[in-house]
Amino acid sequence: MKIVACIKQVPGTNDCTIDPETKRLKREGVEAVLNPFDLYALEQAMLLREAVGGEVIALSMGPPQAETSLREALSCGTDRGVLLCDRAFAGSDTWATSYALATAIRHLGGVELVLCGKQAVDGDTAQVGPGIAAHLGWPQATYVSAMPGVEGKRLTVRRMNEDGHDVLEVDLPAVMTVVKDLNTPRVPTLRSCLAARKATVTVLTAADIGADARCLGLDGSPTRVVKTSPPPPRGTKTVHIAGDGRTCARQIVHELRMKSLV
Amino acid sequence: MANEPDRVFHVELLSPKQKSPKLEADLDLFAEKYRKVLDAGHVACITDNPMGILSFQGTELIDVLGLPVRPEQVSIHLNTFHTKKDLDGILTQAIAMGIDNLLAISGDGSPRLPKLTGKDIGNAVESVTAVELIRYIHREYPDQFTVGVAFNPYEPPAHEMEKMRRKVDAGAAYVTTQPIIESHETLEQLETFGIPIVIECWMSRKLHLLAECVGYEIPEDTPYDPMANLRTLMARYPHCEFYLALLGFKTQFPLLEQACA
Amino acid sequence: MIARTDAERNEYRHVWVVAELRPGEVESVTWELLGAGRRLADARGCELWCVLLGKGTAGLAGECFARGADAALVVDDPGLEHFVDEAHANALSALIRKHKPEIVLCGATARGRALIPRVAVQIHAGLTADCTGLEIEPDSGLLLQTRPAFGGNIIATIKSADHRPQMATVRPRVMVEPPIDPARSGRLVRESFDPAWASKLARVLEAIRHAGDGVRLGDADFIVAGGRAMGGKKGFDMLRGLAEVVGGALGASRAAVDAGWIDYAHQVGQTGTTVQPKCYLACGISGQIQHLVGMQSADLIIAIDKNPEAPMMKLADYAIEGDVFEIVPAMIEEIRRL
Repeated sequence: MKIVACIKQVPGTNDCTIDPETKRLKREGVEAVLNPFDLYALEQAMLLREAVGGEVIALSMGPPQAETSLREALSCGTDRGVLLCDRAFAGSDTWATSYALATAIRHLGGVELVLCGKQAVDGDTAQVGPGIAAHLGWPQATYVSAMPGVEGKRLTVRRMNEDGHDVLEVDLPAVMTVVKDLNTPRVPTLRSCLAARKATVTVLTAADIGADARCLGLDGSPTRVVKTSPPPPRGTKTVHIAGDGRTCARQIVHELRMKSLV
Repeated sequence: MANEPDRVFHVELLSPKQKSPKLEADLDLFAEKYRKVLDAGHVACITDNPMGILSFQGTELIDVLGLPVRPEQVSIHLNTFHTKKDLDGILTQAIAMGIDNLLAISGDGSPRLPKLTGKDIGNAVESVTAVELIRYIHREYPDQFTVGVAFNPYEPPAHEMEKMRRKVDAGAAYVTTQPIIESHETLEQLETFGIPIVIECWMSRKLHLLAECVGYEIPEDTPYDPMANLRTLMARYPHCEFYLALLGFKTQFPLLEQACA
Repeated sequence: MIARTDAERNEYRHVWVVAELRPGEVESVTWELLGAGRRLADARGCELWCVLLGKGTAGLAGECFARGADAALVVDDPGLEHFVDEAHANALSALIRKHKPEIVLCGATARGRALIPRVAVQIHAGLTADCTGLEIEPDSGLLLQTRPAFGGNIIATIKSADHRPQMATVRPRVMVEPPIDPARSGRLVRESFDPAWASKLARVLEAIRHAGDGVRLGDADFIVAGGRAMGGKKGFDMLRGLAEVVGGALGASRAAVDAGWIDYAHQVGQTGTTVQPKCYLACGISGQIQHLVGMQSADLIIAIDKNPEAPMMKLADYAIEGDVFEIVPAMIEEIRRL
């Protein structure tokens, strides 16, 4: 099976302090990391290749530094890493981003399955996966939490929703977004890390993949961010409650009562 | 031919981090330190994803870097943040290499690291700690390993002693402490377990880095002489062995022999 | 669809709310969106439509009118009984192309997040997910879509000037349900199912509802969440007791889920669910950032922990220093006494 795992490099979230005034999280000196949800997409691609053979390509659209995340994907065992990098992509919203990725997937040729993480932790939109499916005209399955059936041209998957799940049968080629329940991402080995450092990450431009310039970047984006602002401060100073169990309980339940929460 | 020093130290070797931008240089340095430790007759103790930072495994480092193994001179840390498959892989590889000394710890996790579940190791207990890990090792790989455990004198003593009891019952063969500065009262109680004690000595001048370990703030400029501390510990606890954390290979390693004099 | 000129834009009229349906009923997020949609339609001087795609949907129109819709666009067909993404997307896209709404709203639910992004690409429209605010810009008449990004550290305002319809999804519990006015009526717009919409490439084999804990995490007004300090499944049984008396949902930190004490469905945080309840009660959760980004927008945050320096205790509006295993049972007793 020829599989593309779409990955994104996002700001890390390791260091933060809480601003005592606004109670907002202040991120400090955060390094870029591989979007946590994408690890599950990568792992599933590996597992499928182990089960039915084939090729796994890690694909990312981003600035040059996104190459480090593609090398991380390579160290997990993907066969190739492809970076879509071009000034023309800058400022893309999810419509333009999914267009670019879909065009690259068509350019790669013969792809049977596209796997994405549920969402990226910076944008949080969860729109790109279904967007890629729509641009390609392929069926989709989102929030995939299990893949019990793998046959040559068809996958049976469990799709999660708020109440439970559906069992879906999807013909390939298809696009799927995956959630944490699906697998346990493997830890890269020393050998695969060393190999990943030596591997070539292919860089493709908009021209390479034959993308229509009108569908890229700021101009190709139906939505535009017109303003950003910090969120309003929480405002309240922390009230400390101490004492024995009964005292604390009484005090907090009183507060909840006053606020009509109980 | 390895040296036979006056005293054998357990020298901690931090495993190289996976995300390092200068991985090849880190690996070379690791190999150099490892060989130095072995040639001097000491024990190389390789960490397992310390502080939850994704690093490389001791067994794969020895394998890929072609490092020599002398069974009495190599110890591998092993924590509970592995898949069962990876855990068995490490243990099997260790046996194949002739490594028989492990330090079993609960360890620190991170979002990137998997975790052993009770189901993995055939236990009714849900969460897996060092105790369950030791039991698993001795059950699945009987008579293959000497397994040590950690002891933290900075946790409430009753709690730590009770944990220690369970670890010993599970088969712990020795105990390595957290860093001790000059002395600690609980070390006497540890002796009641009747197993060898390895005392950790902090070899970095930066004592303030231990703040999280000991549970209180240490000012950054606190004067601290690691070698003097080591000498004090050796004098006070002559029957114990010593585990050297953050040993400076350029400045301190050459002085180790003198420390014993 | 691209709409660069005034003439092109003027072809698009009315505000649509795509209903979220369970067999035989309309989910409350639909009512919440009709509330928001009513405001927008009034500002635009146009109609509010509710779109019902499914099987047995014709009978649900009456409720939509009572909640403020002027019209109900109904496709009632077995072909839409199960949610097959392609079929529903094809149906909605075709209806949008035919009727040309100016604004389309939908709940940011599992189904909404699968359906609307696909439709937005198919019809070349702008889509903003998880909006916390929707307003009409006075001068331009454009829909101003406000949403948090970067884990809530930035509030972004977004517009789709040159594409129609302007599409937005909104999470449950963000907008306010309008009151029911049984006297209201509206008109039914019936469309038939076009077999061309059906998907040949995917099919639903089974639809399974989990016998859940009752209250869903994403919808809950009150969440009682436990972390590492809960020590095991029994700790969560205790928290479940508290969740029950307050009528809330049970949440958990990643540490607790990874330890196997509670299902992933309860995980709050960056790789779990993001929640915005009225009250978030964190029990023994230290507050790693990946967890905090998932609940920091709660109206009221209460933390119980032994460590007063824990990040969650610093974030909380009420920080209770103590033993969860003493305080929670005492709280249950207190509440029962009320």
